[in-house]
Amino acid sequence: MNLQSVTNGSEIQSGVRCQDELIRFAEAAIGHDEVKITEARQALREIMGDKAVVDAAGVIANFQRMVRIANGAGIPLDKPMALVSAPMRSELGLDNYASSVNTPELSLMQKILARLLNPLVPVLFKRIAKRVSGEEKAP
Amino acid sequence: MTFAAIYDPIEVRPDILDAFSKIWQTIASPGNWWHGADRVAIAAECRSAVTCSLCEERKEALSPNFVKGEHQAVSNLPMVAIDAVHRITMDVSRLTKTWLEQCREAGLSDAQYVELLGIVVAVVSIDGFHRAMGLPLEPLPEPQDGEPSAYRPDAKDHGAWVDTVNPADLSDEEADIYGGVPQVGNVFTAMSLVPDSVRMLSRLSAVQYLEASDVVNPTFNGGRALSRMQMELLAGRVSSLSDCFY
Repeated sequence: MNLQSVTNGSEIQSGVRCQDELIRFAEAAIGHDEVKITEARQALREIMGDKAVVDAAGVIANFQRMVRIANGAGIPLDKPMALVSAPMRSELGLDNYASSVNTPELSLMQKILARLLNPLVPVLFKRIAKRVSGEEKAP
Repeated sequence: MTFAAIYDPIEVRPDILDAFSKIWQTIASPGNWWHGADRVAIAAECRSAVTCSLCEERKEALSPNFVKGEHQAVSNLPMVAIDAVHRITMDVSRLTKTWLEQCREAGLSDAQYVELLGIVVAVVSIDGFHRAMGLPLEPLPEPQDGEPSAYRPDAKDHGAWVDTVNPADLSDEEADIYGGVPQVGNVFTAMSLVPDSVRMLSRLSAVQYLEASDVVNPTFNGGRALSRMQMELLAGRVSSLSDCFY
């Protein structure tokens, strides 16, 4: 997935199927314009069906909650995630968000380590996925 | 009965409605630090915030602190609690640690705040689902009588604005809150000063997204009609639009 689509919306192609309809629904649903919500829901329904609309509404509502927990409790990023996501956060401009102050800045050594680890991040995530799904046993 | 079956315009999964119904019961019951009536009042303030003109003005301002005035309150809750509910609902990305410290000085304890936060985020999420689906909002529950338990777990400073409990430090009374897994993200421990708030979070996450223990598997979609990538695209877009760094 091209993560720029997360910060820039439909202007960037993420490579995810039905991206435009999903993003349009998410953007409408967090506002309060009922006409926009209805149109976006209908567009998603036509292309993905009823069950997908319910599941999409669930995920959107779930993260309306999660962002408030994170920002309302002032939690820092989890330490391993803070390290491996540093280059990506910088690239996406996430470090400019006001709530970034809740996460301590990485030391110089940690920044260097994060850069070195960056190419390995997709591989690490695949290994984690295989392990938790039982396809690969822990050593 | 709350959250009756919904088939029109689109059938809603019964497990979602069942979870919503249980959350409504929890909100109506006495908590650790607030009475049932207070908790339902917090839910009512959360709904009121959506149309509050002060909240709207503050959202548009360069800093929320530049705009003075009174919220369009619908309850007799202390003003500091009303302000907290409205800000969490409408402008959460601009809350600060200093603001929370001022809330404490004004009489809102850390545990009261966490319990209030747990109610607000549950209502925002359930109402948000209804709005997205084009459904009318469920009437708020009738408050139940009883006294708050005043239960406070052995929480510590782990870097958040409020003390939290790590999985390794759970006592028997809240041993269940992380589903028995040895490690969870900070977003799951964030409200552990009030264990029932974590239980509400887990119940909602399981039906609206995924069980906490399944989140770490990046290919698992919980049998939903969306692929995991589609779910994460939605999650990421909502988080980005909400200026959520986490």
